[in-house]
Amino acid sequence: MVDFSLTEEQTSLRDMARKFAKGEMAPHAAECDRAGRFPEEIYRKAWELGLMNLNVPTEFGGSGLGLFEQCLIVEELSRACAGMTTSIIANCLALEPILLGGTDEQKHRLLDPFCASYHLASFCLTEPSGGSDAGSLKTRARRDGDHYVLDGEKCFITNGPFASLYTVFATLDPSLRHKGIVAFAVPRETHGVVPGKEEEKMGHRASATSTVRFEGARVPVANRLGAETEGFSIAMRTLDQTRTPIGALATGIAQAALDHAADYSKRRQTFGKPISEHQAIQIKLADMAQALHAARLLTWQAAWTIDHGQPGSLESAMAKCFASDAAMRVADEAIQVFGGYGYMKDYPVEKLLRDAKLAQIYEGSNEIQRIVIARELLARYA
Amino acid sequence: MEIAVLVKPVPDAETRLRPDAKGLALDPEGVKWVLAGYDESAVEQALLLKEAAPGTTVRAISYGPVARAEEVLRSALALGCDAATSLEAPPEAPTDAVSVARALALALTKHPASLVLCGKQAGDDEGGIVGPAVAELLGLPDLGVATNVRWDGGPGGLTMERSVEGGLEQGRTALPALVALQQAWNDPRTAKLPNILKSRKAPIERIPAAEVAAAMAPSAATAPRRLGFRLPPPRTGAKMIEYKTPEEAAEKLVRILREEAKVFP
Ligand SMILES: Cc1cc2nc3c(=O)[nH]c(=O)nc-3n(C[C@H](O)[C@H](O)[C@H](O)COP(=O)(O)OP(=O)(O)OC[C@H]3O[C@@H](n4cnc5c(N)ncnc54)[C@H](O)[C@@H]3O)c2cc1C
Repeated sequence: MVDFSLTEEQTSLRDMARKFAKGEMAPHAAECDRAGRFPEEIYRKAWELGLMNLNVPTEFGGSGLGLFEQCLIVEELSRACAGMTTSIIANCLALEPILLGGTDEQKHRLLDPFCASYHLASFCLTEPSGGSDAGSLKTRARRDGDHYVLDGEKCFITNGPFASLYTVFATLDPSLRHKGIVAFAVPRETHGVVPGKEEEKMGHRASATSTVRFEGARVPVANRLGAETEGFSIAMRTLDQTRTPIGALATGIAQAALDHAADYSKRRQTFGKPISEHQAIQIKLADMAQALHAARLLTWQAAWTIDHGQPGSLESAMAKCFASDAAMRVADEAIQVFGGYGYMKDYPVEKLLRDAKLAQIYEGSNEIQRIVIARELLARYA
Repeated sequence: MEIAVLVKPVPDAETRLRPDAKGLALDPEGVKWVLAGYDESAVEQALLLKEAAPGTTVRAISYGPVARAEEVLRSALALGCDAATSLEAPPEAPTDAVSVARALALALTKHPASLVLCGKQAGDDEGGIVGPAVAELLGLPDLGVATNVRWDGGPGGLTMERSVEGGLEQGRTALPALVALQQAWNDPRTAKLPNILKSRKAPIERIPAAEVAAAMAPSAATAPRRLGFRLPPPRTGAKMIEYKTPEEAAEKLVRILREEAKVFP
């Protein structure tokens, strides 16, 4: 049975996120974008309202939402500011390896602080020498008694400068490739954990991104997540969970772009009438609306698939890839509808294009998503 | 202490309003009903009193079509109210303030409260009569409007404050009483996500339409009836002034204000 209507519970979650996004995020979006400011007061409020740690089950003090509900919330937040949203949902990404690989003891010990008070966590997979080919990462882990010693550097780490816990992927032996990768939960205060300075970014400027270096950082064996051979699988299964909300984030950007463009088109007059009455502009708006709608539906269906216990690799790859490409196109057209004003920083649409671009790159670039889609697809023709 | 807070479902400010087919009422199709305005301040005030005096319970009470009333009651529960009562509007019920007050008073006789809070006026019709009428029906002292209420337990232990022209007026009194909240000095809180989830499953007591109709009966025959509902005429007459210099713009504006808008003689 197909049913696209939201339950009352889903509607109230979406409305609550919308209210927070409008009331708390949107008023600061332009300022944070311009200054590259990390608005910690907003993230703290998001935490207080339960908008962080959406994927942590209630038994560990989180919100325990399904992926579908997470997507409804992420879309609303991103509609106000995608950059802030990236930092708000980074905890979901960083804590997922603990949910997937951790024992009950580890879950309680490591997750409780996040649900008891405001803390940020970072997911550390990407390295300067490569992000897409995660199997060939170089950060080393060496066993030393009841500790592992980590050495290496991660880059482009969301919330890196502000995190109190890092989930880190390192290799026992690079020649083992995927099979040598181990996952760890590394507290910030560990000696030898060195977050770098904030990067200057094109978009998502309210989010902080940095390198994180590990210089002989000693991590107790009790903080290893899963078995020694399981790290790569934990990383990939984590991304299987978090890819779909990136589709929702991109959908939120596309929605914002369409909102601005449609509104502006009714107010801007040329040749004696609002530009919304010129067919060329109507066609743009119609195409933008279709791309947006398709992005949302692909995202909803991917979330639904995973919530129903199916792997959803194909669906989530399609959702993330399509929605982020759609967000780029819709943001681009929104600028066109605004004409010269669209190119000016005093107007809100150029930010949307800069923000949309990241969704095509992170959490598995769209080239990698297409590889996944093709692989799944071709397997069905075996 | 038992606190009751009266909340009215009003259309969300972003809803596009339309009259229904008969032109008698607002078309409810697509309208989102929310807890808003002064009622939000009343709920916030109730919750602040509850936080200050352990053992206090807060019951939210709403009258209207079931789905609407329960929507705002769920919002009140998500914010932190302990219990909720919905009064089901009878079909073809009178819509005047006194009839609504009779319904609300019915819930308050079932759940007596030492302090009844409400908004100074509803967020939609801004009537401001229901609160005082409830006080009258129940024989409660109506303390008028307040911006802030505190309770220190003792006899005459209710302190209230209200804004008056140029200052703040303070007073003390005993309970029971009814107080209407003025504008929000108390930045109303936002419901937390886990509480929203819980409120969806919380029980809401429902007082059925027949009982509500019986409570409204004493004045039903004489209650005023609504004749119609229509939108205000669309605003017209916005005028763009074409100008080359600020002086020219000011000159043209003054001429329009004088000759067309007739603001100045
Ligand atoms: C703002 C920001 C925040 C980020 N946050 C995090 C974070 O919190 N944690 C984290 O671990 N990482 C994070 N990342 C890293 C991100 O996931 C990587 O940038 C991404 O996976 C791509 O890796 P790369 O940059 O090394 O590009 P590369 O892997 O070097 O790829 C370069 C280009 O080649 C393409 N390419 C690569 N391999 C193939 C192939 N086999 N076939 C076809 N094309 C291919 C890619 O799609 C890309 O276009 C973040 C990145 C950014 C920019």
